Amino acid sequence: MFEQQEDVVERIVQYLRRPLQMDPALDGRVMQEIAGLAARRGPAAVAWRWLTRPRHVPVSPLAGLAIAAGVALLVVLPARWLGRPPASAPREFQFVLVAPRAATVSLVGDFNDWDTARTPMRALRADGTVWTVVVPLSPGRYRYAFLVNGAQWLADPAAPAARDDEFGAPSSVVTVGGL
Amino acid sequence: MGAGDAELVRRVMSGDTGAYGALVARYRDRLGRYAMHMLGNREDAEEALQDAFVRGYSSLARCNDPERFGAWLYGILVNRCRTAGARAARRARLFVRDEGALNGAPGPTLAERSEFEDVVRRALARLAPEYREAFLLKFVEDLEYEEMTRLTGAGVSALKMRVKRARERLQAILKEAEHV
Repeated sequence: MFEQQEDVVERIVQYLRRPLQMDPALDGRVMQEIAGLAARRGPAAVAWRWLTRPRHVPVSPLAGLAIAAGVALLVVLPARWLGRPPASAPREFQFVLVAPRAATVSLVGDFNDWDTARTPMRALRADGTVWTVVVPLSPGRYRYAFLVNGAQWLADPAAPAARDDEFGAPSSVVTVGGL
Repeated sequence: MGAGDAELVRRVMSGDTGAYGALVARYRDRLGRYAMHMLGNREDAEEALQDAFVRGYSSLARCNDPERFGAWLYGILVNRCRTAGARAARRARLFVRDEGALNGAPGPTLAERSEFEDVVRRALARLAPEYREAFLLKFVEDLEYEEMTRLTGAGVSALKMRVKRARERLQAILKEAEHV
């Protein structure tokens, strides 16, 4: 049945390259699901996303290095002196990023649906070099990243990188264990 | 000629959810082909594709280069297919024929064509998922190794090895089939 094996592989490739037609009704299913997401977010969130959407901002190598070299610390705040919380109770995590030239920094991740508006970080020092925010996290594995000046995505240099990132931007992983 | 990807992405980000429909229609069949060949059945392929589109929408703010929305979405689909493939493997589902997926297949005769299609499906199904992924991205989707690296997270040399092994494995499987 088959000629030379190399030719057969080439024939397979040609066969696989032919256009396939997927069910056009899939478009409707996608849009229906998306409509549900958009409704949950509301017009204010959509407007905020537009305002904070990533834009290309030329950054000199030195400035990029300064931001990228920022050391971030992930500090588990001590359990409250009222006693250990139950295993499923959220624990407070403090995320810290050193970003000397940032005007704004947001924390985005699985825990806030990657909403760039929901978790702004505040400058810890008057010179704005250290940015921080405390977030309650239930036990689980979360991917997260920092959004600097509404445009630049940074993974946390002090945390493991997410291996399964699928959005083309760097992100990190934090795992919150049960007690 | 319709709006470009960057323009459609801009409109979606401005709140025009409907503009995403144009992107879905634009990439449905092209991405669907990869999902079909990777997963081997229409049901799983459509589920992975739908999931990829919805995730793409949810994460659109992370698409750094809207001009290359399609390539970015490809990365999401590759991941969705990996997840769906692992799930399907757990279910130990057999590959099924799906004649409706094909558009007027040319071939010498109907019997030969049908046999060939069957052999191809079974051969692809017998490749390890990472070999099948590399083979499809390289030869069917015609991607450069650098782009494949971005999509899969694997290094260029690892990908070249996977493509080479996939070819060898396919040849071996087809040789087997010839003698059955």
